[in-house]
Amino acid sequence: MARIKPKRHGVVTDMTAMCDVTFLLLTFFIMTTQFKKPDVEQIKPPSSISEKLLPDASLMTINATPDGKFYFQPVENATERLELLEKMGKKYNVTFDNKQKAAFQKVQSIGVPMNQLRSYLDLPEDEQKNYKSPTGIPMDSTNKQLTDWVEQSLSVNADYKLAIKGDVTTEYPKVKSLFEGLRDIDFLKFWLITSQEGKPNE
Amino acid sequence: MAQVQVQDKSAKGGKVRSKKNNPAVDMTPMVDLNFLLLMFFMFTSTFSKPNVMDLGLPAKPKDETQKPPPTEIDLSNSITLLLGKDNRVFWHQQDQAGLNDQTMIETNLDREGIREIIKQAKARAKKKDLFTVIIKPTDDAVYKNFVDILDEMAITQSERYGVTDLKPYEKAVYDKKVGN
Repeated sequence: MARIKPKRHGVVTDMTAMCDVTFLLLTFFIMTTQFKKPDVEQIKPPSSISEKLLPDASLMTINATPDGKFYFQPVENATERLELLEKMGKKYNVTFDNKQKAAFQKVQSIGVPMNQLRSYLDLPEDEQKNYKSPTGIPMDSTNKQLTDWVEQSLSVNADYKLAIKGDVTTEYPKVKSLFEGLRDIDFLKFWLITSQEGKPNE
Repeated sequence: MAQVQVQDKSAKGGKVRSKKNNPAVDMTPMVDLNFLLLMFFMFTSTFSKPNVMDLGLPAKPKDETQKPPPTEIDLSNSITLLLGKDNRVFWHQQDQAGLNDQTMIETNLDREGIREIIKQAKARAKKKDLFTVIIKPTDDAVYKNFVDILDEMAITQSERYGVTDLKPYEKAVYDKKVGN
């Protein structure tokens, strides 16, 4: 006598709602993610116990390479970049044509002195990315172009924040000249970019 | 996938019914994929942010009149750290008269090294709230040493610290020590 087996039905979960939610979140994260652009030169920041993350404020960055060259990375905002370029041009008596201005709005970071900036901006985009400046932006007691960039950026918008990314092996006198320069323009609060290190337990 | 289709074996000879189409679409693989991408974007957006460390510099006095009078720090209330070449660190608690090869002591940047010394010096200080660490990076130091020392300040909770240049007599002793 065969028992009557109850008819088996497949277990169905309605995934539609779940799918909706994941899509929503996915769209959000895709929109907000900004991929880090590759740096021109490899910089390995020193480690620290600081757990503070780099804030989202409009940020300019100074990169100090292992051999002591400085790169300046202006804020992302294109119209403010244009203003900055004009101010710097006025200060150093350099004029830029429209093509160079457009290139400046897209540039990742600047690593050339002002007198070479025009020819640098004239380079095609791929070459700009791979162009390793032999000098960097000059920063010493007589030629303070690096702090001029900072100063002029601040005159465009005083809310800018500055982050300094130095390499482990950057020599201290180079960093010192930068700090002194920043003190000269009365810009005293900034951040040092470091990499995460575990907090010692004590 | 999540559905197990149960085949209905009805009696033979029955009318061939048009198979009823199940309107439910299986969304499981789609949800899987979505979650995968979601994970990826979530992690990339949080991990791409570097850590930062605050640094405030003292303002430069505009002229001589604004210069604060030189503050006297009692020797026991302060410790001077010298950052030398090849990650070497020296410390002393002396003034010009007392500083020589013996009183400038070498240590290292480990937990047992500089951190212990700062802690001990702090415990010895006469006025603990006035205990000051004076950091003097030499020209041979690298950026990493500087960040490491600032880190030690955070770890040992020494809020009073200053960064300045070496005095000539300190430089002389330091040069002798490292053999410059």
